[in-house]
Amino acid sequence: MSDMILYFIVQTGFVILAAPLVNGIIKKIKALSQKRTGAPVLQMYYDLFKLFKKTSVVSDVSSWIFRVTPYIVFATAVAAAMIVPVTTLIKPVWNTGDVILLVYILALGRFFMMLAALDTGSTFGGMGASREAMISALIEPSILVSLITVGLIAKSTAVFPIMTFMQTVQNPLIHPVYLMIFCALLIVIIAETSRIPVDDPSTHLELTMVHEAMLLEYSGRSLALMELAAAIKQLVFITLLVNLFLPHDQLIGIHGIAAIGISLLIYLAKVFIAALLIGIVEVNTVKLRLFSIPNLAALSFILSFIGFLQFFAFGG
Amino acid sequence: MLLVLKNIGEQNNLFLAAVMLYLIAAVFALALMKHHKLCNLVTNTICMAAALIGIAAAILRISTDTILTPVTIFESRITFLFLEIKIDQLSAFFVLCLSVLVLCVSIYSIGYNSHYYQKRNVGFFNFLYASFIMSMLMVIISGNAIFFYLSWEAMSLISYFLVIFESEHEENRRAGRLYIIMTHLGTAFLLIGFMIMFAYTQSFDMFGSSELIPEMAKNLMFICFLIGFGTKAGVIPLHIWLPYAHPAAPSNVSALMSGFMIKTAIYGLIRFVLCYLQVQQVWWGAVILCIGIVSAVLGVAYAIMEHNIKRLLAFHSVENIGIILIGLGVSFIAAAQNNDFLSGLALVAALLHTFNHALFKGGLFLGAGSLQYATHTKDIEKLGGLIHKMPVTAVMVLCFSLAISAIVPFNGFISEWLTYQALFLNINMGMAGQNILSILSIAALALSGALAAACFVKLFGISFLGLPRSDDAAQAKEVPLAMNIGMGILAALCLIIGVFPAVFVKLADQVAGSILGASVVETLQSGFMSATVPLAVSENSIAPAEILAALAVVILMVLLTLRLCFGKLKARKYGTWDCGFESINARMQYTATGFSKPIRIVLSILYRPGRKVVIEKGESDYFPKSVKYQVWTEPIFEKYLYNPVIRVLKSGSEKMICLVQTGSVHVYLLYIFISILALMFYNRVV
Amino acid sequence: MTNYLDALSVLLLVSAFILMGNKRIGSYIKTFQFQSALVALLTGIIGISSFAQDGRIDVLIICAVVIGIKVLFIPYLLKKTYAKVAYRVEKDFFLNIPILVLICCLMVVFSYFSFAETMGINTGTINNQIVNSFSVILIGLLFMISRKKAIGQIVGFLVIENGIFVTALFATHGMPFIVDMGILMDILVAVIIMGIMVFRIDEKFGSINVDNIKDLRG
Repeated sequence: MSDMILYFIVQTGFVILAAPLVNGIIKKIKALSQKRTGAPVLQMYYDLFKLFKKTSVVSDVSSWIFRVTPYIVFATAVAAAMIVPVTTLIKPVWNTGDVILLVYILALGRFFMMLAALDTGSTFGGMGASREAMISALIEPSILVSLITVGLIAKSTAVFPIMTFMQTVQNPLIHPVYLMIFCALLIVIIAETSRIPVDDPSTHLELTMVHEAMLLEYSGRSLALMELAAAIKQLVFITLLVNLFLPHDQLIGIHGIAAIGISLLIYLAKVFIAALLIGIVEVNTVKLRLFSIPNLAALSFILSFIGFLQFFAFGG
Repeated sequence: MLLVLKNIGEQNNLFLAAVMLYLIAAVFALALMKHHKLCNLVTNTICMAAALIGIAAAILRISTDTILTPVTIFESRITFLFLEIKIDQLSAFFVLCLSVLVLCVSIYSIGYNSHYYQKRNVGFFNFLYASFIMSMLMVIISGNAIFFYLSWEAMSLISYFLVIFESEHEENRRAGRLYIIMTHLGTAFLLIGFMIMFAYTQSFDMFGSSELIPEMAKNLMFICFLIGFGTKAGVIPLHIWLPYAHPAAPSNVSALMSGFMIKTAIYGLIRFVLCYLQVQQVWWGAVILCIGIVSAVLGVAYAIMEHNIKRLLAFHSVENIGIILIGLGVSFIAAAQNNDFLSGLALVAALLHTFNHALFKGGLFLGAGSLQYATHTKDIEKLGGLIHKMPVTAVMVLCFSLAISAIVPFNGFISEWLTYQALFLNINMGMAGQNILSILSIAALALSGALAAACFVKLFGISFLGLPRSDDAAQAKEVPLAMNIGMGILAALCLIIGVFPAVFVKLADQVAGSILGASVVETLQSGFMSATVPLAVSENSIAPAEILAALAVVILMVLLTLRLCFGKLKARKYGTWDCGFESINARMQYTATGFSKPIRIVLSILYRPGRKVVIEKGESDYFPKSVKYQVWTEPIFEKYLYNPVIRVLKSGSEKMICLVQTGSVHVYLLYIFISILALMFYNRVV
Repeated sequence: MTNYLDALSVLLLVSAFILMGNKRIGSYIKTFQFQSALVALLTGIIGISSFAQDGRIDVLIICAVVIGIKVLFIPYLLKKTYAKVAYRVEKDFFLNIPILVLICCLMVVFSYFSFAETMGINTGTINNQIVNSFSVILIGLLFMISRKKAIGQIVGFLVIENGIFVTALFATHGMPFIVDMGILMDILVAVIIMGIMVFRIDEKFGSINVDNIKDLRG
């Protein structure tokens, strides 16, 4: 029982609280690389705090879908966070996490987000929803193929067993299967979290925006929830990436609360490294044309598929 | 009737009673032809009663594992020529599927048919409706191949009349022609299959053994059944009738056709290939898997390009048949490799998806009917803003859309999850071809799921959200209560199966167990809450009820926390952001064509889209008088597969006519004479 | 060590895929350089292990030569050529890129299919290193088929050579010294000749489109 409560607190509280930090780090890296001071790392927390207090403006064309969407999107992001453990040292009693479920529960949030974008009758919303529909459709096969390939080696599709299995693998990144899946998932993360080669989170130009176009009509508390949900989703994917391919829990010899604490600290360090990686990618690439994104998605799929082919030769 | 009375006390009678009731409904429909309202009410009420009996009988049959007691309903002196009803658990499962759908569609029809009052012959329509249901029921419960074939033929013919019911439109008559040609092409192949069956076993008993049939003939039979049933199921490339026939029929009939009639083909495949032929070779399964992959991806890809709501849904039937076939393919592969557990699991996935698809696709067609009822159009480009006018319909269509997109707390996800698990287990070391096929199926499933979501965001978003795009949409009213009740039951079932899948998985498992002798449920450590499939090493499980609870708890917590920390939600109503333009109107919204444009461009190899822009110049280049934008996609299969075949056939038969049809009676008699001699010769030699 | 070699072989394959997905001539050269660096790294690893095991240094020497020729000199030469001709982006393909990449995928599957049962020279069943490196050869060939500009042809040729070199390396863990050196010298000469040819073609036809060579027929 205590394990369960601990798991819930860590998975939800910790992830929700840490999620905006990742955005802050990435922004800071971008600013530093451009020789600017940039906003403080904690800026997103201030923004969220302010937005929560503000009055929302709701379009009079919109229906109940527009109003419930922020809550649904937020809830799906948190549910996804509960599926992907940040540390394998706490065994979840919550035995429902499955990579397929993870993908489809995020699809629930995305479905409503696209609907809400169409709900106001705004052209921007339609544009964002239509682009998001394309990108998500293209990226979905490679998420599932990569995760299921890892699952095949671990002989399970549930996230926790896969992660515990990965703790026993020595240096996954020199293993060809994992190397390929890692690269494929990196592209997936960039696409799923609306990062630069695919989408530009800091733009509000109709030619380029995807995710922001869908949020355009949101304001106040709803906007804050949507932003926070996006940040949580990003952290969930990063968690998946770092905990699968940079396992660390076996390094800690001890058990108990102290071990969990150390594990969480190492986890934060890994998230920092991942954020650094994403920041570097973002600084060094330009946003792709919308119709070049399929090539990126194809690359991601091919990486995961080659990873799967390597898995044969290795016998898991 | 006498037979029914004679055999009272046996379970089969319930099924016979249901058949009789449908017959009575059909008779009543004709008798009360003059009184449209009464006729409609009576026929549909009797159908509902029959459906309820069917549900009860089916559940009873599935849960009690008694020995089959066939009922002969027609005998003759020729030994093989008799009609027989035989209901095993597989038939019962499909009867359940049919009856649930019929129950809801009949309730819906009470309201829906009202727009035919005094305009069309409601009596005849209801006669066809009831006899169509009866023919489908007979296909499922038939006990020998002859009866199966006759019912199948009846089903095809009656559905043809339903397709051309609104025959004043040329396109409906064309759809009917195409349908009847394709369906008879399929039936011809079935007949060949049955002939081979009879040639070797001297009987039409489809519950019997196929040991006498040699290997090659079995392969041939499999191919015949695949083409025959594939045509009815609408697999690619035999799907071309489907997107024409389903939209042409009235919506409640399309719900039955798409929800159940195409599933009779799945029943046929399971019955004849899995049960009768006992899947001899791995390649059978592999072929079905390949067809499944292609149908799943291409079906949904074509659906996205459609703006006629019913054509869109028809293409989604192709997609879902593809998903069912993926499950079935894995089941066949595993059966050929004697892996009973996997075969059972995959069969459960396929059966459950069949059931689920009947629910949500039936519901979606009913929803399309409601839209048509309220706005008199099938074109979603003319709709918009209906969520304000038809709030109840909107909620239900949203439920079905989520279900068909396999999104979490709904039933579509459950069956797709089981399919994923079956594919996951199908990947073993050392069988490269099978593994690559399986991982490609996984990718195809993922792609089709995401594309389906995109498609239904389009459908729902364009037709229900935003501003109305035409006067019809602006003046729409909520549909009659009966229609909403019919859809409501389906929507509720979608959610219930999605949240408490274990009961239904068990139901499907008993059916699969009766066929394969291996139960998945024994290894299925399920409470009422979860569908758990423990696998070799670890516990792959999902618990949708817990997920739903978690979502609800999170939402409540968020509401509570925000309320406590930041006070009451303050919201202000204002117009949509219009960039300072100040007169935003419905024509500025994204259209369905615009919404699907990125996908049209990315997958242009499938669609070969073309476009034409005609600009009528005004005084200045910047202010043209009118701009006409036209975009179209090419039907590849019709253009590159069917049209050449038709051309060759046509030119060939024209030549044949000149050669064979001389016009002289003597020559014709000579033909008959020669063929009789040839047959006699064949009889002696073979 | 096998792990590192496996990972490198997969990276080689990926670099071939990246090359196939590219249409900028500048990136062709960069990708080739990256791929050659991987080859050099691979040679280095095998060289170190063979040095550690039986004190041979020939593989290490080859590694140095590879770095010198393939990583530094040939890309430099190509860049110089590239700077002089007007073409930056390849525009017309026989097939469009996504389809080409999918065909490459099929190539890999086909290599698996072809080599799955073949026995290796060193030990037991041939592993996926050979499959990956052989796929690189096939992809290089496909690259040459699909590209029309002369520089693309050169890069394709070099990729094929990389593939052959690595396949040989994986199969034997160090070919006889003289053979390797001979091959390396050969391609060096070939590239120089082709470089000169490109200038000549450009001068003669005002473009480096290889299709124009058809016009040379009488």
